[in-house]
Amino acid sequence: MKKTRFYTAVLALVFVFVTGFAFAAGSAEETGDVTVNMFQLKVEIKDALDTYAAEYSENAEGVTVKVETLGGGGDYGGAMKAKAQAGQMPDIFMIEGQGGYDIWKDYVADLSDQPWVDDTDLSFIVDGKVVGFPVAIEGYGLAYNAEILRKAGIDPASLTTRAAYEKALKTLDAKKAELGIDAPVAMAASVAGGMWWVAGQHNLAAYWGGGLDFNDTSVIEMALNGKLDQDRFRQYAQYLQLLFKYADQNILLNGSYDDQVGSFAQGRTAFLHQGNWVDPNLKQLGVTFEIGYAPHAFLDTEQKGLYLFAPSWYIVNAQSKNAQAAKDFLTSIATTPEGHAYMVNEAGMIPAFKSVTLKPSGQLSQALMDANARGGNYGVFFGMLPDGAGQNIFGPIFDLFAQNQDNLDQFIADMNRAVANLK
Amino acid sequence: MKQSRVINVLFLLPCVFSFVMIIIVPFFFGLYYSMTDWNGISNVVTFAGFKNFRNLFSSADFLYSFLITIAYTGINIVFVNIVSFGLSLIVTSKVKRRNFYRAGFFVPYLIGGIVLGYIWQFILNNILVSIGMNMSISFLQTSFLSLPHTVIWTMAAVNTWQYAGYIMLIYVASIQSIPSSLMEAANVDGASYSTRVFKILIPMMANAFTISLFLTLTTSFKQFDMNLTLTNGGPATRFLDMPVKASQLLAMNIFNTATANRMAEAQAKAVVLFVVLLIVSLIQVSVNKRKEVEM
Repeated sequence: MKKTRFYTAVLALVFVFVTGFAFAAGSAEETGDVTVNMFQLKVEIKDALDTYAAEYSENAEGVTVKVETLGGGGDYGGAMKAKAQAGQMPDIFMIEGQGGYDIWKDYVADLSDQPWVDDTDLSFIVDGKVVGFPVAIEGYGLAYNAEILRKAGIDPASLTTRAAYEKALKTLDAKKAELGIDAPVAMAASVAGGMWWVAGQHNLAAYWGGGLDFNDTSVIEMALNGKLDQDRFRQYAQYLQLLFKYADQNILLNGSYDDQVGSFAQGRTAFLHQGNWVDPNLKQLGVTFEIGYAPHAFLDTEQKGLYLFAPSWYIVNAQSKNAQAAKDFLTSIATTPEGHAYMVNEAGMIPAFKSVTLKPSGQLSQALMDANARGGNYGVFFGMLPDGAGQNIFGPIFDLFAQNQDNLDQFIADMNRAVANLK
Repeated sequence: MKQSRVINVLFLLPCVFSFVMIIIVPFFFGLYYSMTDWNGISNVVTFAGFKNFRNLFSSADFLYSFLITIAYTGINIVFVNIVSFGLSLIVTSKVKRRNFYRAGFFVPYLIGGIVLGYIWQFILNNILVSIGMNMSISFLQTSFLSLPHTVIWTMAAVNTWQYAGYIMLIYVASIQSIPSSLMEAANVDGASYSTRVFKILIPMMANAFTISLFLTLTTSFKQFDMNLTLTNGGPATRFLDMPVKASQLLAMNIFNTATANRMAEAQAKAVVLFVVLLIVSLIQVSVNKRKEVEM
C-alpha cells in the first residue's frame, strides 16, 4: 500500500513539472506569418492606434501588427526593462529623449534611408543618423480664454514681454469679481498633485530654449556643464514668480491635472499653463469659448514664439528579425492617406510631417499648427537632462518656490546649486 | 515511516525551489548589484565597492526619507495599536450589534492601498477644502496634504483608518482566548474595569502585542502604495538646506531612484532598508517576547 502511495505522489509531482515545462515551451512556438510587436506609452491614442494596426494587418500580406499600450501612470520604462530581461523586446518601442536613447542604444536601428525622413524636422538624430520616428508635434504656450481677456480689455497679441504680462495679470486680478474668475492663472507646480512637470519641466523649458533659435541648445548645454546664465535666469525666475502669484493657490500647491484643466474649462481662470494635449479634455468638458496661445514671454525683450517638440519617438528594434516589417509599418503611417487620417482625425495629433494637409480639430492644436507654419518658434530641450532630474531635483525646488513665492533669491540659489550638481 | 521522508522532501521541493529562485537568489543578486554601477539594462556592470553606500549618507533626500520613515513608523505604531486595542475592547464587550461593528471596522483593510490613497486624497484636497471655504473655517481651507508639517500625521491617520481593523482582529482573537474565569474572578474580587484591563487583559495578551507591533512596524517601514497615491511624496520642504520631498518615505525614495535608471544606487538603499528593518524588528520581537506569559 505504502509503495503505491509513494509512486502516486512521485507521478503527480512529475506530472506537475512536465506540464509546467510543456506550457512554457508551447508559448514560444513559431507561426509562419510575421508578427510585429509594438509597445507604446501614449494611452490617449490607444484606441486609434489599435484600429489602425488592425486595418494595416488586414491589408498587409502575412504581417500582423500587435500593439501593447502602457502609459499614463504606468511604468513604461520598468516594463521595457522587464521585457528586455525576459528576451521579449518589442519590434517597435518608444523613447522620450536622450536618456532613453542612452539606455536602449544597443537596440536602435538606423532609419536614415526611410522615405519619410526628408518630410520632417523632428526626427531623433544621433551623430547624423536618423534613429527615431517622431510620433507627433506637441507644444505649448500660455493658453488664454479670449472672452475673458476681451471683457477685461486685454489684447492677447500684446503679451510678448514680461512687463506686458505683469500689467495684464494685475488688471485681471483687480477685476476678478466682475469677470467671475477665482484667479487669473491656472498653474500647477505641486509634487503632491503629480504636477511637478508643468513647472519643473515645461515652464523651465522656457529658460532652456525661449527666445533662441529652434535648434539652439547653448543654454541647456551650459547647464549640463553646471552653470546658469545668471541674468537670463533671474528674468525667467521673475516671470515664474508672476505666474505663481497670480495663480489659483489651491491648484498651484495641491491641484491635480483635472483640477487645473477643469478650472480653465469652467471659465474660473483666464490662463492655462498646458499644452495642446488638453484639447480632448476641453472638448469633453464642453468648452465653447475661443482659446488661443500666448507666448511664455519671460524676457525683457520681445518673444513671440511657442514651444514645439516631438515628445516621443518610435524606435525600430535593430536586433529583431522583423525589423523590415516594423519599418514598413511606420512608413505607412507617415506616407499613406490612411496613416495621415489616423494621426490627425482618429488620434487627434499634430503630425510632424509636412506633407500632411489635414487639420486637427482642437483649438490649441490649430493654434500650434498655425504657429508652426508661421515659424519663429522655440525648441524644448528638457529631454537632454539626466533621467529623473525633473521629478527628483527640480520638482521639489519649484514646489518650494510655489510655497514661498517671495523668496526669489532662495529659488535662484537652489537652482544654481542643483544645476552645478548636474555636471 | 522511514520512506515517507522522501515524500516529505518531494512535497517540499516546489516550495523550496520557488522560494530559492524568487527570494534567495534575487536577494544575493541585489547585494551584488548594490556594489556596482548598473543602470538596469546595460550589459556592462562595473564593480564599485561601497561607493553607493558612502554616497547615501551625504545625500539629503535619502537622509530625510530615512528620518521621516522612522517618524512615520513611530506615529503609526502608537496610533494603530491604541485605536485597534480600543476597538477590540468595544467589539468584545456586550455592546449591541458587535458583529456588525467587527465587520465594519475590518472593511477598510479590504480596500487596496492605491484606491484608498485616491479616495482620501479627494476627501482631503477637495471635500474638506470646500467645506472650509463654504463655512469659513480657516484651518480647513488649505489641504492638510499641502503643508510639510502636517502631511506625515495625515498619512498616519489614513493608514490607521485602514490598518486598525486588521490589528483589531488579532486583539479580538487574543481577548477571546483568555479564560473568562480569570475576568470573572477579578470581578468578584471587586476589581474595577480599568484594573481588569491593565492588570489582567494586557499582560495576558502580550503575545498579541508582539505580533501586532511587529506587523505595524514592518508595514509602516515598507509603506509605498498609499504614499504614492495620497501624496506622491509632496509637498516639498527644506532639509539640511536642500529642497526635499516632505512625505517621500524610504520605499518611494528607492522607487524614484530606480525609475531614474540609477538601479545600483536604488539597490544600495534597499539593502540599507533591509538591514535596518531586520535589526529594529529583531530588537522589538525579543523585547516583547520577554513580556509574554505562558499559560
